[in-house]
Amino acid sequence: MNAIIILSSLGIIAMLAEMFSFKKSLWYLVLAGLAVVFVVNLLDWNLDTPEQQFKNMILFDNYAVAFGGLIIILVFAWFLISYNHYKDSELNVSDHFSLIIFSSVGALILVSYTHLSMLFLGVEILSIPLYILAGSMKKDLASNEASLKYFMLGAFATGILLFGITMLYGATGTFNIVEIGMYVQKSSEISILFYSGLMLVLIALAFKVSAAPFHFWTPDVYQGAPVLITAFMATIVKTAAFAAFFRLFSNSFGLIINDWNFILSIITALTIVLGNILAAYQTSVKRLLAYSGISQAGYLLMTILAVNQESSKMALLLYTASYSISTLGAFGVLYHVMKSKGSDSLDSFNSLGKTQPLLGFVMAVSMLSLAGIPPTIGFFAKFYLFSNLLSMGNTYLWLVIVAIVGSLVSVYYYFKVIIAMYAKEGAASPLMLTTFHRALLIIITGLIIIIGLAPGILVSMDNFKI
Amino acid sequence: MDNILFFILSALAIGGALMVILARNPVYSVLFTILTFFAIGGHFLLLNAQFLFIVNIIVYAGAIMVLFLYVIMMLNLNKQSEPTQPFFIKVIAAISGGLLLITLLGALRGMDSDKVISDIPYSDIGLVKNLGKVLFTEYLIPFEISSVLFLSAMIGAVMLGKKNLKDH
Repeated sequence: MNAIIILSSLGIIAMLAEMFSFKKSLWYLVLAGLAVVFVVNLLDWNLDTPEQQFKNMILFDNYAVAFGGLIIILVFAWFLISYNHYKDSELNVSDHFSLIIFSSVGALILVSYTHLSMLFLGVEILSIPLYILAGSMKKDLASNEASLKYFMLGAFATGILLFGITMLYGATGTFNIVEIGMYVQKSSEISILFYSGLMLVLIALAFKVSAAPFHFWTPDVYQGAPVLITAFMATIVKTAAFAAFFRLFSNSFGLIINDWNFILSIITALTIVLGNILAAYQTSVKRLLAYSGISQAGYLLMTILAVNQESSKMALLLYTASYSISTLGAFGVLYHVMKSKGSDSLDSFNSLGKTQPLLGFVMAVSMLSLAGIPPTIGFFAKFYLFSNLLSMGNTYLWLVIVAIVGSLVSVYYYFKVIIAMYAKEGAASPLMLTTFHRALLIIITGLIIIIGLAPGILVSMDNFKI
Repeated sequence: MDNILFFILSALAIGGALMVILARNPVYSVLFTILTFFAIGGHFLLLNAQFLFIVNIIVYAGAIMVLFLYVIMMLNLNKQSEPTQPFFIKVIAAISGGLLLITLLGALRGMDSDKVISDIPYSDIGLVKNLGKVLFTEYLIPFEISSVLFLSAMIGAVMLGKKNLKDH
């Protein structure tokens, strides 16, 4: 809870930076603030009886602390990548930073809520700053379109979420997700109202994580938004939305998994197939990453099918971490390429591996990790995810086969980028990386490889139980 | 008496909502929206929620509708100038909307009316005093955290509205 309070205050301070003219030092201040939030968040780790705070509205159990920590690290990394970008741009730095921080507050609520009203508020606080940030390039038509599209469809999905919550309340008489789980356990015959509510909530959350067939907004929004904002949406928003999805379904609907797993497995398979096949046709790297985000959402949904497994939480944490770090690396490179060449097409990556060996290497490692090729973290995360699903028996064998075939397709389009960088000829770019950005990209790549080589440091720690 | 009122208000609400989408002239649509909001406000009154009734009238029927009318008048949409949708899209929309309707009606039909929860913890929750009490005790944290939501919406409105630094 303290983490949320401090982060909100940090957002207000960032907002006031313009008024009291400390805009120059705002970036450092935000990083220091995020470090404090990270530490404060960790203080809630492994409490014997996690305190149900504020009348069962919010609960910082180990699950919330683990995902909260991941989100704060990702926000931190996002701010590092955006170093200098907002400093000398025409955009106003304090508005941007405060909106990003407020959006992160929403993400923290989404990992820790125990009350459906907090779920709703978290989704809104996460999304509304992003509707605005997606349109922050005011004179760019694509950016305006992205903002409007995201806002319209997001508002529609929120309406469906609220409708679903209303029905759940009508059936159970409570908003608390644990009490809803108890209702499911106790009642001999669950009312049909409950199932309608469940389906509506499922649809709304599937929209938020951009699962097919609710994914149509994703490519346009991701492509139209400014590249750094897209990086934020593809990583932090997706992590938070999945954490919320899993938290609701494991607490409330885990016992009646047989009633909804069929629909969800269809959604999962469709997401994997559509995301991967459509990604193969893309010629813009930004759009390719958007479709890759859709297909990765499909893999992430596989943890929700195994919601009653104890190891699913770990699989979800590992996969979101792996996906987010790799995607951040890829967007970090894309940001520099777009800055120097002004285009996000696949051709602008030609011969990047020769002219800019570091950028080429980082991009290659990120792509390998997203494709799930050892020795990167992506391989281990996928392996853990599949074995987690298969440990429930052979029910989902078909889904794992679909997912593996999907991964094979994904190798094709991820390697298109790598081939463009190393095998094709292109003009050298006048790109100067600062030492800071070099160090940052090396650290991200190092993380991808080190955790990939020794995943045990995360998974087998004895006291790391979420 | 309550039942009769309920049915009249429901008929008004549903009829108004239908007219919103059927009316050709956008200004009529807005006026029917007001009717719908008043009918829904009446339902709040029946549920003994006077505060919600007043807020619903002031915010929706008052403020938001005026905004709507302003926008419609400024865009000069009142000439029935909306483009017609292709027939194909209309069919798809009708089918998917109809499916949703059938699902929701099915959900209602499957409900046993005697199983409906009758003991709502606070039956006069809608009175200002009780609402305030609940809002500041049980629902304190959602109430406070929504200020972050409004703050970011305000920052966003300012950000989209003002000029970029280079334009000065």
